[in-house]
Amino acid sequence: MKKTVVIVSRDVVLSNIATRLLGNLYTIVTFSSILSALDYIYNSIPSLVVVDVVLDDTAVTDGINNLKEDPMFRQLPILGILADQMIADNFDFLFIDDYLRKSGLENELQGRVTLGILRSERVVEINPLTRLPGNISINRQIQERLDKKDDFAFAYADLDHFKPFNDRYGFGRGDEVIRITGRLILNIVKNRQRENSFVGHVGGDDFIFIMSPELVGDASQEIIDAFDQIVPAIYDAEDREAGAIQSFDRQGNANAFPIMNISIGITDTLSGRFSHYGEITEAAAEMKKYAKRFKGSCYRYNRRQAADEEA
Amino acid sequence: MSSVDLKIMRGKVENINALPTIPSTLKRLSVLIEKPKITLDEISRFVANDPALATKVLKMVNSAIYGFPGRISSVSHAIMLLGLNVVKGLLLGVSVFEIMQKSMLGLWDHSVGCAVVARLIAVKKGLKEPDEVSVAGLLHDIGKVILLLEFSKEYESAMEDAQTQGVIISEAEKDHFAEGHANVGAWLAEKWCFPRNLIEVMGNHHRPQLSRIAQTETAIVHLSDIIIRARGVGFAGDNSLPVINAAAFEMLKLTEADIKEILKEMENSLEETEDISQA
Ligand SMILES: [Fe+2]
Ligand SMILES: [Fe+2]
Repeated sequence: MKKTVVIVSRDVVLSNIATRLLGNLYTIVTFSSILSALDYIYNSIPSLVVVDVVLDDTAVTDGINNLKEDPMFRQLPILGILADQMIADNFDFLFIDDYLRKSGLENELQGRVTLGILRSERVVEINPLTRLPGNISINRQIQERLDKKDDFAFAYADLDHFKPFNDRYGFGRGDEVIRITGRLILNIVKNRQRENSFVGHVGGDDFIFIMSPELVGDASQEIIDAFDQIVPAIYDAEDREAGAIQSFDRQGNANAFPIMNISIGITDTLSGRFSHYGEITEAAAEMKKYAKRFKGSCYRYNRRQAADEEA
Repeated sequence: MSSVDLKIMRGKVENINALPTIPSTLKRLSVLIEKPKITLDEISRFVANDPALATKVLKMVNSAIYGFPGRISSVSHAIMLLGLNVVKGLLLGVSVFEIMQKSMLGLWDHSVGCAVVARLIAVKKGLKEPDEVSVAGLLHDIGKVILLLEFSKEYESAMEDAQTQGVIISEAEKDHFAEGHANVGAWLAEKWCFPRNLIEVMGNHHRPQLSRIAQTETAIVHLSDIIIRARGVGFAGDNSLPVINAAAFEMLKLTEADIKEILKEMENSLEETEDISQA
């Protein structure tokens, strides 16, 4: 499916040139004013918007700025087309991502649009702690694979006894554990499957990864082994020796908590018919809950249906 | 004879950003990195057998930028956290000694041998992280590398003195330097935010009674250093044998059978490492 580029210009000649230059690569939707374009943009979020910028037309600049002020559309790249004699040195009042001179259209437009889209796709919301992509990218990754009817496994990981650890040592050390976990998952997943794998950080101590079904089990086991080896080093020596820490449970009662574990729940597209990302994250979260019932670190893979089919 | 001033020594050590390695390591490294399918395990084993590479990896993973300052003292953990790409990039940047003293090669073999013995004892003692003790063995004499690198004339005359006077190198150092190799190594480890245990073992391997948080590990490296010298592997800067610290030896509670086994396993392990280094 072609990506959509919206062109906004009062100048019909400009719209036509742009449509001719981009039409073979993208689905083009043209509008004569930004206001008429907004409704379309809000509802179908194109990949990029090309705007013919007329500085003295406040409707154009206001329209662009309003759009970019909304966090939902901050990522939407806007390429401004400027008249050749227009001074372009102050973008405090014009929230565009890139610009192109009218005289440069023929040579540059296609390249700029393609690069602008690529750049916006690379910029994902990133968890400041782990620098891993967050929920929007995770959901997009799942949905893209579902739409393409790719077979893939989806794993959901979280830590056991993380909260008492945080309470005992403070969140600074808790952050270290989160960073370590993120690094381990990323390196092990990428090491076992370079292409088409994905690691995301849902938030807190929750991580997800996507791999091929035949690789996900071994990778999960390796993550578990690495986690169990490294994480005790983050505890103070006496706690590590004791194998537990003294902390408080959710009711505020003093209690002993074992060294942290990691639990991983996995599901795949072979074991159920998923059409929406929410269904698959739910199924994996369900498996993770099940994995958590077992003592120590472990993974549980819901491939019941696949096994039945093989049988 | 004038000895090198403490401030000058400190200044030099503070300015070190990386340690060079020996030519044969570099040669094997380029072969290893070219391999299309290299595993984390393979690279870990390689790095864990070279003091310069090991310090490089530990420096990076323990740096504040990376986010695990003073936490990681095992090479395999470091590599798992850094990831293959980062480690590869890091290793590609390793330099080699410009002038290769024969004593440097001997020091390399001494370090690798000490790491082997330290691991065997750690396993025998049932320590949870033999890797960490092995790293301490590998890096215990890094101070000698630094001194030989930065003050080669002075260090060479210290080694000569050790030879002619029949004393151990740490004694001979005293006439030439305000501070000995053990502390010099610990300075660098401290500057590079290595874990406290590791710093302590490095700094105290000749006076294990001073260790507080890593007593067992210090005792193990202290003993391994002497065992590997006695076995005649490599060159530690002198031809004498240091005296084993009685308290440290007692503390390890090794039976005669334990020691026999360790020595036997040492022979096997040394053969293996030789195979790796000649492959
Ligand atoms: Fe020494
Ligand atoms: Fe030594």
